[in-house]
Amino acid sequence: MNENVIDRSRDITILEVLDRVLNKGVILTGDIVISVADIDLIYLGVKLMLSSVETMEKLKSGRH
Amino acid sequence: MINELIYVYCIAVNPPGLIDELKARGLKSIEIGQFNVLIKNVPEIEFSEENLKQNIADLRWLEANAREHINVIGMIMGYTSVIPFKFGTIFKTLESLEKFISVYSGSLLENFEFIKGREEWAVKIYCDRKALSKHIDELSETAAALEKQIMASSPGKAFLLQRKKADLIENELDRICKERGQSYFSELAILSEANSLNNLLPKEVSGRDDTMILNASFLVNSDKVSHVKDIFIKLGSREVNSSFHIEITGPWPPFSFISINEKTQ
Repeated sequence: MNENVIDRSRDITILEVLDRVLNKGVILTGDIVISVADIDLIYLGVKLMLSSVETMEKLKSGRH
Repeated sequence: MINELIYVYCIAVNPPGLIDELKARGLKSIEIGQFNVLIKNVPEIEFSEENLKQNIADLRWLEANAREHINVIGMIMGYTSVIPFKFGTIFKTLESLEKFISVYSGSLLENFEFIKGREEWAVKIYCDRKALSKHIDELSETAAALEKQIMASSPGKAFLLQRKKADLIENELDRICKERGQSYFSELAILSEANSLNNLLPKEVSGRDDTMILNASFLVNSDKVSHVKDIFIKLGSREVNSSFHIEITGPWPPFSFISINEKTQ
C-alpha cells in the first residue's frame, strides 16, 4: 500500500481538512443541479449553506 | 431502510476488497457499472438536509465527520485511484445514486484517466511581514533610496520621510509577497500537470501570526514527486532570511482536480 499524507500524519490540522473536504471533490452545484433535478440528491454540499471560512472562524472561536 | 440515507465518500475502480477497518466502521463498497462506490448508510436523524444543517453548526460534530470523510478516502487511496466526493454528499436512494453514476460515467472515466499515475500536493506559503520588513532595504531599491535620503535629511524632514517610508514599506511588502508567491507558483506549475489556486485564508482562519501568500494545489506525476520536492527545497533555501514559511503536504486525494460533467448526447 502506498502511504499518503492522511496515513502518515494523524495530526493534520482541521484547517487543512476543511479546506479540502468542504471546498472540493465531486461537487454537484449550480447548473448541474438543474440538469439532474430529477435525481433526488437531498444535499449538495455544505458550501451551499455555509462558507468554509465562516465554518473555520466559528471553529476557531469555539476553541478559545 | 426507510430512515436511512446513502453517504458517498468516493468512487474507486477495482479496490482490492474493503479492508476490515472500514467494514467495521459500517462502510460498504458497492459495484455500480464499472465503478466501486464507497458508501455508508447513515441515519436521517443525523444526515437529513435539515439535521445536517444543524449538525454542521456543531463544530465537534463537523470536525469528527470531516476527519472521518478524509480518513476513509485516504485509506482507499492507499490501494487504488479515487475520485473523492465533497463532504456531505448524500443520496436518498440507491436508485438515485445509480442514476447519477450512469449519467456521469463518461466523465468519471475521464477523471480517472486524468488522475492516473498522478498525485495531488498542496503548497501553502506564509510570510512574516514584520521579519521581512527588517530586510526591506536589501529587498527594495526604492526603500533603500528613501533610507539614504532620510539619513541625509534634517530631523524635521527625516521625520516626515520616515512616515512616508512606513507607507512605502507596506506597499513594498505587498509587492514582494505577491512576487514571491507568483514565483513559487510558476516554478511548481511548470513541473506539474495541473494546478489549482485556492483562496488565501485570513489569519483568523489559519490561526497563524504570519500572512498566507500562496495556497495552491498541484497535480504531479508520481515519478516526478521526489524531483519536485527537491526543487521546492532548493527554492526555499534561496531565501535570504526566514520571513517565509513554506509547507508542502501530500499526497492528498485529488480533491482539486476532479471535474464532473454530464455526458453530452
